[in-house]
Amino acid sequence: MKYMIMMFGGLGAATQNRSPEWIAGMHELLMKLDTELKESGECVASDALADPSQAKTVRFTGGAPVPTDGPFAEVKESLAGYWIVEVDEERALQIASQVVGYTEYPMEVRRIMDHSAQP
Amino acid sequence: MTGQRRIEDLLREFAPQVLAALVRRYGQFDACEDAVQEALLAATLQWPSQGVPERPRAWLLTVASRALVDAWRADSARRRRESVAAFDPAGTGPAAGLAVQPGGDFAGADRDDTLALLLLCCHPALSPPSQLALTLRAVGGLTTAQIAAAFLVPEATIAKRIVRAKQRIRDAGARFELPAQPQRTERLGVVLHVLYLIFNEGYTTSSGPALQRTDLIAEAIRLTRLLHRLLPDEAEVAGLLALMLLTDARRGARTDADGRIVPLADQQRDLWDTAAIAEGQAILTRTLGTGPVGPYQIQAAIAALHDEASTAETTDWPQILALYDVLTAVAPGPVVTLSRAVALAHVRGPRSGLALLGTLDTDERMAHTHRLEAVRAHLLEQVGDTATAQDSYLRAAKMTASLPEQRYLELRAARLHQPAPPASPADRPDQPPRTTGAGTPNEARGRP
Repeated sequence: MKYMIMMFGGLGAATQNRSPEWIAGMHELLMKLDTELKESGECVASDALADPSQAKTVRFTGGAPVPTDGPFAEVKESLAGYWIVEVDEERALQIASQVVGYTEYPMEVRRIMDHSAQP
Repeated sequence: MTGQRRIEDLLREFAPQVLAALVRRYGQFDACEDAVQEALLAATLQWPSQGVPERPRAWLLTVASRALVDAWRADSARRRRESVAAFDPAGTGPAAGLAVQPGGDFAGADRDDTLALLLLCCHPALSPPSQLALTLRAVGGLTTAQIAAAFLVPEATIAKRIVRAKQRIRDAGARFELPAQPQRTERLGVVLHVLYLIFNEGYTTSSGPALQRTDLIAEAIRLTRLLHRLLPDEAEVAGLLALMLLTDARRGARTDADGRIVPLADQQRDLWDTAAIAEGQAILTRTLGTGPVGPYQIQAAIAALHDEASTAETTDWPQILALYDVLTAVAPGPVVTLSRAVALAHVRGPRSGLALLGTLDTDERMAHTHRLEAVRAHLLEQVGDTATAQDSYLRAAKMTASLPEQRYLELRAARLHQPAPPASPADRPDQPPRTTGAGTPNEARGRP
């Protein structure tokens, strides 16, 4: 089974008013976890997204698609990065918990749909 | 293990020569390139156990020719005729005016062939990602899998990129030959740019497994060295090689054990590669003044000045500023202005640097890079304008697409954070920068 573990929030959403040591600790945790997941073979893909302030949203406006500056969702709810892991649900939740335990900022765990048509 | 390494080096050296020989004989660059890949694969599988053949180059040529014939049999005759027409071997002629140095590793024809191959892979009709991929495979002798690993993209992506690049070369009616002047210099400029892109791809992105990235740097240097051997009198080729060596010499000190960026001023200089610095300096000394001075030579000279300083404090900033003045005259651009502002700040103080940065605020070309804000933040911090500097660091952090740089900038901002009176609820750092018109822009734009 594949799961997508998602982090939200633009820069500062989770790090607001935190000390440099706390921020450095978070960077370290994320890098360590990423390496672990890749080395264990559980990680299928992982990426961080550029800050939502750099995002553009294309909307259907006045009968045509029109790009505008800014993300679709609120910055706090905007996707910041993800892991795609091939694990069972329990393990996926465990991975997310490791990060949330430090950042105190929510993460979402979503099952990725199969392409096979097994009943 | 060392035998394996030797075989790999041998194959990479022969790859462009065998390909060029094949293209000369049969035309059809794309089919020949596939055939050479097959021969390289066969050698990788057979040589370690059966030993390196007595005449490895001839072996590769034979196996590649056989693979080509096999491919032809499987192919339709119509397609073959089309391709041969596009790559008319009769149209290729020996390069006029190309200096052939005696006593090198190559015979004259091989020399021209490898150069023609590089020019073909860096054909202006191709997009830069295609130029990079094709150059690394056809001239560098890397496999599709190796290239994919280095660029952190799926193997199928690189494979498609290469197929499309070869199609495009065919469609453009490109010929396997050395163009006459002045086109040759122009095309050589593209090759240098592609090699520099390969280098930068390896150098500036520290994400992903470190080993694979450094492979790209090594490959860029190897290919530039090869080009320098082919064209020893081209000053800019030498300049680019020197620039790569003098820049890469600092690699060991650029990041700490945790992969975090260490800025130049804070780097542990005894970690710099003195052999690479010496080689870069020697090339530069040999080159400067022998031909028209170009941007690669000037940038190499600047890198050399940094490398020569045993501490950050003893850096010869006045000389660096003078070189940036030359660079501004030869190849002006906003990125040059940005670097010049840093030098200016060191020579005449951070406020002078900030004033020069202000001239870039309206430059459209800088609208999408974080570098302007990052440099401004550093200079504001030096001036002592902590609050504005913090804003600038955060703005730069939001703009960058490089994770290590974002982390570095975020930390710089956090370090300046002062336990300020509680902000209003709406005043969150994750919101777009306030446009009160005060702060940074005035500070930077205002006074000269």
